[in-house]
Amino acid sequence: MGFSINDKRPLPPVGATKKNITCEFCIVGCGYTAYKWPKGTSGSDKRNALGVDFSKQQPALGVWASEQMVNSVIDRDGKEYNVMVIPDQNCVVNLGQNSARGGAMAATLYSKSTFTRDRLKDPQVYGGNNLNRTTWGDATDLAARVLKKIIDNDGPDQIAFKAFDHGGGGGGYENTWGTGKLFFKAIQTRSAAIHNRPAYNSEVHATREMGIGELNTSYYDTELSDTIFVIGANPYETQSNLFIMHWAQNLQGGTIDAKKKEFDRGETAESGKIIFVDPRVTSSITNAVALAGKDNVLHLRIKPGTDVTLMNALFTYIHEKGWEAKDFIKKHTENFKKTANANAVSLRKASKVTGISVSDIKKAASWIAKPKKSGHRPRTAIYYEKGIIWGIKNYENVASIANLAILTQSVGRVGTGVCRLGGHQEGYVRPETPEGMPGRKNLVVIDAEAAEGNYLAFFAWGCNPFVDSIMGERLATSIKRRSDIVKKAMSRNIGADNETMADAIYRACKYDGGLFMIDIDIYPTFKSEVAHVEFPAATTMEMNLTSMNGERRVRLSEKIVDAPGTAKPDCLIAAEIANAIKSLYKKEGNTKMAKRFEGFNWKTEEDAFNDGFAGQGAKMDSQGGPTGVLASYDLLRANGNNGVQNPIKKVSNGKLVGTRRLYTDNKFGTKSGKAMFQPTPQPPMPRQVKNQMKKYEFWVNSGRVNEVWQSNYHTSRLPMPSTRWPIAPMEINPKDAHAKGISNGDLVMLHNDYGSIRVVAYVTDSTRSGELFVAFGFPNSPLNNLVTDFVDPDTKIPFYKGTAASMRKIGRVEDIANTMSFKSRI
Amino acid sequence: MKEPQSSRRGFLKAAAGMTAVAAAAPALLASQSSKNGNFYGYEEKVVGLASKIKGAGEMDFNYPDVDSPCKAVMVNGQIKAYSLLCTHKGCPIMYNATKKAFRCPCHFSEFDAQLDGQMIIGQATENIPEILVKIEDDKIIAYGVNGLIYGRESNIKG
Repeated sequence: MGFSINDKRPLPPVGATKKNITCEFCIVGCGYTAYKWPKGTSGSDKRNALGVDFSKQQPALGVWASEQMVNSVIDRDGKEYNVMVIPDQNCVVNLGQNSARGGAMAATLYSKSTFTRDRLKDPQVYGGNNLNRTTWGDATDLAARVLKKIIDNDGPDQIAFKAFDHGGGGGGYENTWGTGKLFFKAIQTRSAAIHNRPAYNSEVHATREMGIGELNTSYYDTELSDTIFVIGANPYETQSNLFIMHWAQNLQGGTIDAKKKEFDRGETAESGKIIFVDPRVTSSITNAVALAGKDNVLHLRIKPGTDVTLMNALFTYIHEKGWEAKDFIKKHTENFKKTANANAVSLRKASKVTGISVSDIKKAASWIAKPKKSGHRPRTAIYYEKGIIWGIKNYENVASIANLAILTQSVGRVGTGVCRLGGHQEGYVRPETPEGMPGRKNLVVIDAEAAEGNYLAFFAWGCNPFVDSIMGERLATSIKRRSDIVKKAMSRNIGADNETMADAIYRACKYDGGLFMIDIDIYPTFKSEVAHVEFPAATTMEMNLTSMNGERRVRLSEKIVDAPGTAKPDCLIAAEIANAIKSLYKKEGNTKMAKRFEGFNWKTEEDAFNDGFAGQGAKMDSQGGPTGVLASYDLLRANGNNGVQNPIKKVSNGKLVGTRRLYTDNKFGTKSGKAMFQPTPQPPMPRQVKNQMKKYEFWVNSGRVNEVWQSNYHTSRLPMPSTRWPIAPMEINPKDAHAKGISNGDLVMLHNDYGSIRVVAYVTDSTRSGELFVAFGFPNSPLNNLVTDFVDPDTKIPFYKGTAASMRKIGRVEDIANTMSFKSRI
Repeated sequence: MKEPQSSRRGFLKAAAGMTAVAAAAPALLASQSSKNGNFYGYEEKVVGLASKIKGAGEMDFNYPDVDSPCKAVMVNGQIKAYSLLCTHKGCPIMYNATKKAFRCPCHFSEFDAQLDGQMIIGQATENIPEILVKIEDDKIIAYGVNGLIYGRESNIKG
């Protein structure tokens, strides 16, 4: 950094364009305000659009724009603008607070003078050893011709797609609908997989089948909980403002008055307590201790893979003590006795399996379920995320937690809930194929099939399969080999028209084992190296976008800048492809097939929203549900950054009115309307993982560091995260580091039967001896390379959090070792 | 300037009285500033004595003006100085001499005093601004700031 450029920021003048932005990163979905004004104009320190007098030092927790909160852009009108994006003080989600991720949104904007300058700008087609920029007409025509040949000759299931299904940047209701309509209604393929997993599945099949949607409470309710029970999650780093703005308040006793107001008369109202189940000591745990005191924080430092036994032990002990919600269980649940019998486990056995002391299990059970001083049932909010979802067996892991919630009626009541914490925001509205999708037990593991030679075409849309899938190295190697077969065929036909080229591509796929790769993204990645056609997408702030946060809060995040080059919203890219295929069918007079590709006459993303979220209601699988039809851009805009919580109840005086908490009437999402207990025996260690454990020295766990988002696409281009985390860190216990002769900053190779990665050693007590923790999502050191091909046979969700590897010290790269801090993060 | 939105969120105990902390930091040797030799408009200012800081290990001062509390610390055998206002939400950060790092009591961001104020963990979008200092005849002279100080649109007011 040079101080000639970073000690002063421009201010928006009064009258600057002002828009509401929902953070594009984590599920919390904080509200931000964006300002845009022509370069060369500026507000003064005393008079500006923020209404803040900057001639005076601003107090803590005030309004301020850091360096990363301001950027300059060039719009399609060729004019230069400044853009400022700051957290919104009036948004109930974050009350003016930013996280390390969201606070850098302005810096993620496309700018010719920063590292975001390599954004994809125009469609590209492979030719002459490179991707070449071309027109939308040319690229869609070539893609459409290949896809049509496959549909006509081989059937739509030979076209696989792997795409986002979520909200936030790289998603949103507009874009899930656009892509879903293209693949499921028009192309009609069932060969689908979701952005971070190898099949088209839910990460929470279990809780849904038990009748409980996974996002059933509100952030406000967690301010009112007596106990917050967190399993396999690190919210300070991954749902930061939920932890900082809502839980911290509760843990410090700042919500006791609100509790008194919301609780039953005479009910005990005290500061909240918090329990963490995690094999690591995380910053969430140490910060919770700083907030609540050590007596109000319980860390159950579990042995990997044994969460189900812990949940079953808590279940058994709570039942033994008679602390279960007897009346609720009788009236509103099914399958209790069978589950209680199947899951019964002694505390002694559970302690041996999990490594957690009997007294700590008892303590946790009493915090969760023991009646309060006033005799009232405690209000427990239960939260879980990837430590469970991507654990030893997805279905039982999630079900065992939902069992505990039903047992203690930790759902539907004030201050309760049983929810996933979530990664990204949500944004699902999609049709199904005419044949329907296979049931969860029969889902196809698309990525493994593609690696083994199946499919003729593969869309990788707004995701990076080589960072976010099982056995990443094998997948990348295989896709590259198959892509090269197509590239060779294309090179043999230099100068050919699109029909001739499409024919050559098709033949290379059909007869020579090639795979036609279509990449849709905002940045070049390894996908660009294997793509034959690439389309540039727009993202948050470049389009109007609606998503839903972890408390089902839907907002309209408004467009404030133009996307680079000719990049388009994903929904309109889907429309371009559908319309190109339709036109080919029309030309040959096949009206039946042309009709299948109709319904994409969208000019804007709002058209896609009105067709999908606001148009389908109960007709489709939509998070808006039947009342989604009440929504419109105008109404959402009127509700601003506070939006509306799904499901929408009504429109009252021009305002959308939503739902704070679900299941308040104890009617659950099963046929009988009763919540369904599920027997959850402890799953065994999968064979593939066991084999790695036998052969390799260290257990390898994985997770997030707070500055890095998803596959690091934006964050690797920002000055702070890219300096802080140049490659993935590997946390190693001091004892193991000493035994291996490894110091902070050493470059280490981890390897097993599936692949290898290079990581940088970070010596810390956070991890136990024998266990490593590697940050997930770094394309330059993808942890997935070490992940086995195991998926839960019942849900096809991988065990990303469990593998084993041995290490080899490589040496030091001084630029890495000397430029990142290795001080304790806990 | 209105106070942060909800007073129900005037929350974190540690944040209480933070404005007082900022204001209370003494303007050490403020009279010994010089209009000469400035760097991008910064005034050179004698903020303390190197011999004293070598013993005490740390020293508070204000720079570039009285509203900007800073701390000089001995790290890696040299004197480094940083703004004390967290680049997340402006709470006063506390120095841990053992860890040689600053920690914000409000939202727990931490900054490495041995590595130009790099954020170790936390919610800020910037490292902590470094106050550029030089030593002349035992005098510690501040002459610039690398990074935007919290709560300002420009480090140099007016």
